[in-house]
Amino acid sequence: MAERYSRQERFAPIGKEGQALLAEKHVLIVGAGALGSANAEMLARAGIGRITIIDRDYIEWSNLARQQLYTEEDAASSRAKAKAAEARLKAINSTINVEGIAEEFDPENAELLLKDVDILIDGTDNFNTRFIINDAACKYKIPWIYGGCVKSDGISLSILPGQTPCLQCLIDQLPQDIETCETAGIIGPAVQVTAAYQTAECLKFLTGHSMSTHLVSFDVWGRQYSSIDVVKLKDPHCASCSDDAQFPYLKKEKGIRTAVLCGRNTVQVRPGRKENVNLERLAQRIEPFAGEARVNEVLLRFHMEEKRFVVFKDGRTLIHGVEDVQEAKKLYHRYVEA
Amino acid sequence: MNKILLFAGLQEKAGKAELQLEAVNKSIKEVKELLKDSYQLEEIDTSMAAVNEEYANGDFVVKEGDTIAFIPPVSGG
Repeated sequence: MAERYSRQERFAPIGKEGQALLAEKHVLIVGAGALGSANAEMLARAGIGRITIIDRDYIEWSNLARQQLYTEEDAASSRAKAKAAEARLKAINSTINVEGIAEEFDPENAELLLKDVDILIDGTDNFNTRFIINDAACKYKIPWIYGGCVKSDGISLSILPGQTPCLQCLIDQLPQDIETCETAGIIGPAVQVTAAYQTAECLKFLTGHSMSTHLVSFDVWGRQYSSIDVVKLKDPHCASCSDDAQFPYLKKEKGIRTAVLCGRNTVQVRPGRKENVNLERLAQRIEPFAGEARVNEVLLRFHMEEKRFVVFKDGRTLIHGVEDVQEAKKLYHRYVEA
Repeated sequence: MNKILLFAGLQEKAGKAELQLEAVNKSIKEVKELLKDSYQLEEIDTSMAAVNEEYANGDFVVKEGDTIAFIPPVSGG
């Protein structure tokens, strides 16, 4: 087994010392979609001692073209991404600790999740979650690596709270009407190049090297590339990373919360506090009306009123086939909460 | 004359990755307005600008021969 990391150790900037450091580190990956999968696989193979991967979604057939940790069987059984990722990563490297968490990364669990974490990798597909990551990372002084990709384009930036500009310094408002993988499409190479920049930065940081202050942006199909030093963008009055930061995205909301998953014709509904839903019992209750209701390790899915429902154990529910938040809330009250 | 490079979503909207524009003595803010009017590039407001691969803010004034890149945030993953 001493052979396992020999080639990586031969790479001078890492060496045996660097490899020993990697074995002691803990990486949190938020999102287990395309970027999360690609980063997680590279980091598991590289011998990071502990990997935690959190994701709120489950595997669908449209994921398989680029989300490398998953199989047809996972899509057929609508397996939770976090659970399938955990199993696959453990099969790739049984000598490291891997934990998959089938939840949403949110202001409630951020503090606990960031405890003992050395660095966070962004594998999300939306700016709402990225701004929560950014605030949490700034508050607890954890470096994180932004990555985004759509079509054949990708972008990445390392953020070292207190030292380099944060996402809030870079973008002072939530970008609206942005292209998503669902609406504009995406190809695997864009994922792989973006993840490669993220993982390389992560390995640099974990082995004691400085991360880049450049934002890298590229089009892997059109062969466009740009690397821009953004260090001057650090805002001394930033709401997220300055000395008088208020961390606007960590404010906890009360009551039922909803989020429109852009481009997916889906609304997510969450109860005011996390519950422990008995999925089997809910399935039995719903089955006479819904026809087939299926339960797997972490979720229940069924059809009703031409909508597709996916209910997670903590009560969080995805309703596909609806874009109106009020309608989604009504459906949630009618079938899930009752 | 100046070369303008458009990245990601801006590229598709404008129908090209690169264009020539007379932007000498204009600020980045003015260049953004100009592009917004000529190519309906609304997203340019939330895009970052770089002149000759260095970050440039809205007040930066463009010189002859400068290459200006506009990079919108990318969200997918």
